Amino acid sequence: MKGTRVQTGKYFMMGNMACAEGALAAGCDFAAGYPITPATEIANRLAERLPQVGGVFLQMEDEISSIAAIIGASWTGKKVMTATSGPGISLMLENIGFAIGVETPCVIVNVQRGGPTTGMPTAGVSADMVQPKRGSHGDYEIIALCPASPQEMFEHTVLAFNFAEKYRLPVFILSDAFVGHMREEVVIPEADQIEIVNRKVPEVGTDPQKVKGFLDENVAPMFLFGRGFRSHVTSSCHDEHGKRNLSDLAALDNFIRKLSDKILNHKEDIVRVDRDYEGAEVVLVSYGAVSRAAKMAAIRARGQGLPVGTLRLITPWPFPGEEIEAMARKAKKVVVLENNLGQLYPFIRAEAACHADVSFLPPRVIGEIQDPEAILNRIREVLK
Amino acid sequence: MNEIVHPLHRFIRPYVTSTTNCPGCGNGIAAQAILRAVDELGMTLDDFIFVTGIGCSAWIPSPFFNVDVLHTTHGRPIAFALGIKMGLPEKKVMVTSGDGDLAAIGGNHLIHNARRNVEMVVICLNNGIYGMTGGQAAPTTPMGLKTATTPYGTFENPFDISELVIAAGATFVARWTTHHARQLTASIKKAIQRKGFSFIEVITQCPVQYGKKTGSGSAVQMMKEYKETSILVKEAAKLSKDELQGRIVVGELRDKEAPEMLEEINKMKRKVSGEKA
Amino acid sequence: MSKVRIYRDLCKGLEECGICVSVCPKKLFQPSAALNPKGYRPPEMKDEAACTGCENCMIYCPDLAIAVKKDKPAKGAKK
Repeated sequence: MKGTRVQTGKYFMMGNMACAEGALAAGCDFAAGYPITPATEIANRLAERLPQVGGVFLQMEDEISSIAAIIGASWTGKKVMTATSGPGISLMLENIGFAIGVETPCVIVNVQRGGPTTGMPTAGVSADMVQPKRGSHGDYEIIALCPASPQEMFEHTVLAFNFAEKYRLPVFILSDAFVGHMREEVVIPEADQIEIVNRKVPEVGTDPQKVKGFLDENVAPMFLFGRGFRSHVTSSCHDEHGKRNLSDLAALDNFIRKLSDKILNHKEDIVRVDRDYEGAEVVLVSYGAVSRAAKMAAIRARGQGLPVGTLRLITPWPFPGEEIEAMARKAKKVVVLENNLGQLYPFIRAEAACHADVSFLPPRVIGEIQDPEAILNRIREVLK
Repeated sequence: MNEIVHPLHRFIRPYVTSTTNCPGCGNGIAAQAILRAVDELGMTLDDFIFVTGIGCSAWIPSPFFNVDVLHTTHGRPIAFALGIKMGLPEKKVMVTSGDGDLAAIGGNHLIHNARRNVEMVVICLNNGIYGMTGGQAAPTTPMGLKTATTPYGTFENPFDISELVIAAGATFVARWTTHHARQLTASIKKAIQRKGFSFIEVITQCPVQYGKKTGSGSAVQMMKEYKETSILVKEAAKLSKDELQGRIVVGELRDKEAPEMLEEINKMKRKVSGEKA
Repeated sequence: MSKVRIYRDLCKGLEECGICVSVCPKKLFQPSAALNPKGYRPPEMKDEAACTGCENCMIYCPDLAIAVKKDKPAKGAKK
C-alpha cells in the first residue's frame, strides 16, 4: 500500500497500522518518535508512508525530543503526531504541558501497556487513563479518545487531528496493546468522505499586538512562524498577545482559566459517549477494549431477560460528567469496568453515586479483559 | 540637532523598554553581536526563527528581539528547533541558551543534533553557573569554586563544551569571550551563512551570581580576565597541555563539511517518489 | 570627529556596569551629575571632539545604550 494519503478500501488490518493510516488521511505531514513496545508499529508505518506523501518521520534520541520536535513543527503549520506507550508519555509530560500552555495542535498516541515502570510491555492494560489529565503539572483540560477497535483506531485518529486543529491543543489517543495489536476489518472511505478540520491562521499582516493569539475561550487564530508575525510564544505565564507576565497573579489566573475554559465551554462539541441503556436497571460503564466484553455481557444478559444496558466512554477527557450523571439518574445500579485498579472509577462514582449504587469490577487478573460470564455474575449479584 | 539613532534599536520589539539583564551582563554584548551580524549580512529578523530554553540567555531574543521566537522548556530548545527547521527549511533557525540548559539537562539534544549536522546556529552563552536560579554550580563551573549548591567548593570535573560538540560531529565550532565582540560577530555571520550545525560558545560574565558571589570580580574585571587568559587556537597549538591550564582557547575550532540532515532527507524523499513513478 | 549619543534611561550605571569606561581607548567617559529614573548613574562624554569613532562603547554596551556615528573612518578602527 503505497502512494496516496487515503488508502480507500476494506482491509484486515492491525490497530496500530490503522492509526498510522488515520494520521495520513487526516493530513499528518510530520511525525517523530522513539521505539517502544507496543507502539512501534505506528512509527514503522509512518516512517514508510510519510515520505510517500512528501512528509517525514524522524526517529529522535528520546521521547522528550520527539514531542519537542513535533511541537516545533506544528508552529510552522504542520499537522503532527507522535506515538508511544506509558513510559514515553511520562517522559513527554513536561512538553505536553508546554503544548497546552502555548496552544499547539498535536496528536499523541499512547498504546498503553502494563505498568508501573517497565512493567509488561506486551500486556494491554488501561494503565494510564488519568495521566493525560493530571500527569503534567498545573491545572489544565485535555482531550482524549479511547478506540475499541482497529476501525476506531483509524476514525479516532482522524478525529483527534480535527480536535487538535479546532481547539489548538494536544489530543490523546488512549489505545492499548489489545486494540493496537489486534487485527480486524477496517474500512477506509473515499477521501471526500473524511471530514478534515484546519486551524485558524491570521492573514499575513495581522498585528499580534492587536489580535488575540492566545487565551481566547473561542480559540484564537495561531500566529504561525515564518510569516512575518514576529510571534512571541513563551512557556512563561503570558497574556492574550504572548507577552510574558511573571508578577501579576491576575495574569496567572487569566492564563489558567482561559486555557481550561477553551475546552470546558465546548464540551457539547467534544464529548462523545455510546449510549445503549434505554430501560436498563443495570448499566455497565466502560471504554476501550473492555467495552467489547461489556457489550457481549449486555447482549447475553438481555437474552436472559435481565434489564442491562451499556454506556461506553469514547472521550474520557474532558470528563463526561453530565452524561454519566444523566445515565445514573435513570439506572439503579452502575457497574464500572476497567482493566486497571480503578482509574476513572472515582470520577465516575463522584457523578453517579448520589443517583445509583455504583460498584467496580476489574478483570480476574489485571491485563486480561473481563470475561463476559464474570460480568454476568456481577450483574446478577447487584440485581439481588 | 539631528539625534543619532542606535543602528540596532530597530530590531527591538516595540513594547520592550529595556533589557532584562543585570548591569554588566555579558549576554547583552552577545545579543548585540547577533543583531550586528544580522545587520551586516543585510538580513532582517524575518529571515530567522529563534528558539530558546530556560535561563538568562534564553531571554536574549525573548522578548527583546522583534522576531518569531519559541521560548520553550529547560534543556530542549535544540529539539524544538529541529521541528521548526523541518517545517521552515528556508528560514534560519537560531538557538541561544546557556551552558546549563544546553549541556547539562539538554546535553543529549546537543550531542544528537551535532551528530545529525542539521542546519541551525546554536549560540551557547557559557557563564559557568546557573545564574537565573541564584548561582548554583553548573557542569562548566571550575573545580573548587564555592557556589550556592557547592558551599564547600565544587568536587566535579567541568566540561569543555566545544570539545564535546566537536566530538559529536558538529561541522562548525567556534569559541569567543565577550571581550571578543567583533570576532564573535564575524563567527556568527559565518555560521548563519553556512550549511550544517554551527555551534558558537561564548564565555560570558555573570557579574552578580558568579562575579559577586564567588568573589571573581565585577563585569569589567571578568572581561579583563578573559582578555588576559584567552589565547587564539593557532597560538594554543604551539603550547603544551600544561601550559594551556587556565587558558581559554578561542577562535574557530572546527570548520568542515559533512552531509547535512535536511539535504539527506530531501534525497530520500526524491528516491521514494522515484520508486513510485 | 564623531557623534556619540548616550541613552540615559537604558543605562545600568557606571558603578554597577561601567564597561564603556573600560573599553574606551581615550578614556572619554566620566560619571554624569544626575541619576536616571531607575537610580543608575549614566556616563557622559568628557570631550566628544577627542572621540575617534572606534565604536567600542557602542559595541560593548550590554544595554545598547550608546550609539556612535562616525563622521569619517577612524584610524585603526576595525570593520
